[in-house]
Amino acid sequence: MKTLISTALAAVICATAAPAETFRWAGITDPQTMDPHAVNSAPVTSFLNNVYEGLVRRGKDMSIEPALAESWEPIGDGEGWRFHLRHGVTFHDGSAFDASDVIFSYNRASNEVSDVKGWFAPVAQVNMVDDFTVDILTKAPNPIFPDSIANWMIMDAGWAAKVGAELPDKENGNAATQSANGTGAFILSDRQPGLQTTLLPFAGWWDEANHNITKATFTPIKNSATAVAALLSGDIDLINPVPIQDAARLASNDEIKVVQGIEARVIMFGFGHAADTLKYTDDAGKPNPFQDVRVRQAVAHAINVPAILQTIMRGNAEPASQLVSPAMRGFSSTNAARPAYDVAAAKALLVDAGYGDGFSFGLKCPNDRYLNDESVCQAAVSMLAQIGITAELDAMPVRTYWPELREDNFDMYLLGWSPGTFDHEHPVRFLASTPNAEKKLGSWNFGGYSNARIDELLPMIQSEIDDVKRQAMLDEVTHLYQSEHAYVPMYVQPLVWGTRSNIELTQRPDNFLILRWITMN
Amino acid sequence: MTTAKIKRPFAPRLRAFWASDLAWSFRHSPVAFASFIFVCLLTFCAIFAPLIAPHDPFNPATLNLMNGFTAPGTPNAFTGESFVLGTDDQGRDVFSTILYGMRISLFVGFAAVMLGMVLGITAGLVAGYRGGWTETIIMRIADVQLTFPAILVAMLIFGITKSFTPVEYRDQMAIWVLILAIGLSDWVQFARVVRGATLVEKNKEYVQAAQLVGRSGLAIMVRHILPNVLSPVLVIATISLALAIIAEATLSFLGVGAPPTQPSLGTLIRIGQGFLFSGEWWILFFPACTLLALALSVNLLGDWLRDALNPRLR
Repeated sequence: MKTLISTALAAVICATAAPAETFRWAGITDPQTMDPHAVNSAPVTSFLNNVYEGLVRRGKDMSIEPALAESWEPIGDGEGWRFHLRHGVTFHDGSAFDASDVIFSYNRASNEVSDVKGWFAPVAQVNMVDDFTVDILTKAPNPIFPDSIANWMIMDAGWAAKVGAELPDKENGNAATQSANGTGAFILSDRQPGLQTTLLPFAGWWDEANHNITKATFTPIKNSATAVAALLSGDIDLINPVPIQDAARLASNDEIKVVQGIEARVIMFGFGHAADTLKYTDDAGKPNPFQDVRVRQAVAHAINVPAILQTIMRGNAEPASQLVSPAMRGFSSTNAARPAYDVAAAKALLVDAGYGDGFSFGLKCPNDRYLNDESVCQAAVSMLAQIGITAELDAMPVRTYWPELREDNFDMYLLGWSPGTFDHEHPVRFLASTPNAEKKLGSWNFGGYSNARIDELLPMIQSEIDDVKRQAMLDEVTHLYQSEHAYVPMYVQPLVWGTRSNIELTQRPDNFLILRWITMN
Repeated sequence: MTTAKIKRPFAPRLRAFWASDLAWSFRHSPVAFASFIFVCLLTFCAIFAPLIAPHDPFNPATLNLMNGFTAPGTPNAFTGESFVLGTDDQGRDVFSTILYGMRISLFVGFAAVMLGMVLGITAGLVAGYRGGWTETIIMRIADVQLTFPAILVAMLIFGITKSFTPVEYRDQMAIWVLILAIGLSDWVQFARVVRGATLVEKNKEYVQAAQLVGRSGLAIMVRHILPNVLSPVLVIATISLALAIIAEATLSFLGVGAPPTQPSLGTLIRIGQGFLFSGEWWILFFPACTLLALALSVNLLGDWLRDALNPRLR
């Protein structure tokens, strides 16, 4: 059905022959919401980075640069950070930006109902010093705090109160789900969920605009072959991602450019650690075998990652050993080896754990979120079958996938993680810490993995200024979650965009499409 | 000797059939003959798929991912294995998946036509024989349903039924839901034809005689009228079979039909479509050809049957 709609839509786009400066791009996933604090997922933050801005932002090389804050400095001896806000910035509706919007956005984003509250776990207090100065006090010295808030977007307090969107609403949505009022380079002018979202350049933007886009439209095209066809025919200027299997063919076309890089995203399998029983299949209600580390290790040995990279990823991805890729800060080079593909060892581990006769369980998988996600899960099903355990695959769109995971409806699941801070501490905080709503920790640790030593080390890592000591602690954390096989990291996802040859752009390694860096010739 | 005993009552009937107009027309229509042989061959392959297929594509334990994307007839660069029609992204043998996929397509097609036929004949007989309000209600429902394209009705029924099935059983139920959806979208054709024929038959002497003797309405409908309205039903059923197979493929192609764990031809085409641009044409091409051949031959057979049973065309 979606395919039909997209095809029809592509036809409509084609019929209305837009001027050259209309930039049309397509992706698989429609951002679920326009609320920057409601869903912490890359399609949403990536899209909204064009509409909203944070105190700081990331440049073309991922370095932190001033945005709504002109400058910042540490307070005292690591008590926190003082941000000096930019003067003369206005929101899209014309209202002025000042410190009260920052305070409001902090309260909104760190609220219990927010999905991004985990970003503020280290924060003790936020104080307004004057109209253009804000102090963010941290519970412990936090040297990388400014790096960690690039995606924390500032919303207009007055607008939110007026439209009744003081708090994000993940489930039911509110005015901020459909509309936006940020300070970014683009204004959200039209939003049709699942069909098309239109952005217009913001004439009153504080920074110098280097793009030449007069209008930008985003169309979700779920079927990747349809997206490739739309790119080839010129109905779409950019598609992200290009299906891996089509990259070579597109690159050979003169009218098309394929922009390729290694993404920061690690694709992994997660387990239900906290669940005492299996949720699915004929074995539902029986004790959960994944609580046994030997079973998790068996799964790690059963997954033939080189084969996945060779066939499904067509040699375009790198194997991963831990929750971050080697390019990230804090990568543990002492733990860089990943479990070898070894069916015999996996079978022996299962026998050892008392599951020599196998068992069956439910494997949840998204089918429109990561590159070839469903294919990878299908391949995993056959690899696991070879060690005698039966996975029943349930693949679904992300729209229903995250709620399923939040409700613990899985025995094993697929997850991709790209650290927003480009630091190893990020996935440790989100994926390896014991889930704790009060401390805003482990908010994406769906399986409830828990290790007391990791919980103890995390605050120490966060406040450690000495790089060597910090790395030593990260090495220990890595060793802990690796030896307990908390997750099975498989590979680092490649980043493949396809554009028409007249498009100049900068591809950021976090897969964010930043419209203000695009020029159309 | 025993064989002769069985043959004796059967042989004259066979000879009578051989001498009939229908058989004569069949013998003299090369298209019908070829289609019939082809449909039989495909059905045979589908039924005995587990014996014919070189691999069992639905036993994940036998798959080797390194066999993925092997071109037809050429050995795989890593494993050295060779596949007649190549392999898909998971290393499944395309020839085997087609055989198994055809099984699902044909089963869903047959079962859906059976369901539509039973419903349609019942509704048509009752409407035609009873008349009055019963007829008005049944035929108005049929008219309303006819205003929607059958595929939309099938999608609607599929969607509603699916929302009532618990998630755990969805994959197992999908095939039955598909049969229900296509069957329910298909009954109208049968009902209208049977009703028309019943209206004609009901005023004939033999029916009136049966009524005079005091036979019940049900007995008259089933024992007397039904055998006389069956020949147009046979034609519609054959053509409906082709349509049902196509409808199933369409639904599966759109991702609302047979699940990837039990792929029908439509599901295989949907999977193959993802590789159309990348040069792995065989993943799409062979299932699509099979579907085309299957639907075409059933359709040709239906066309021939319609002509053969139509007295005006003789």
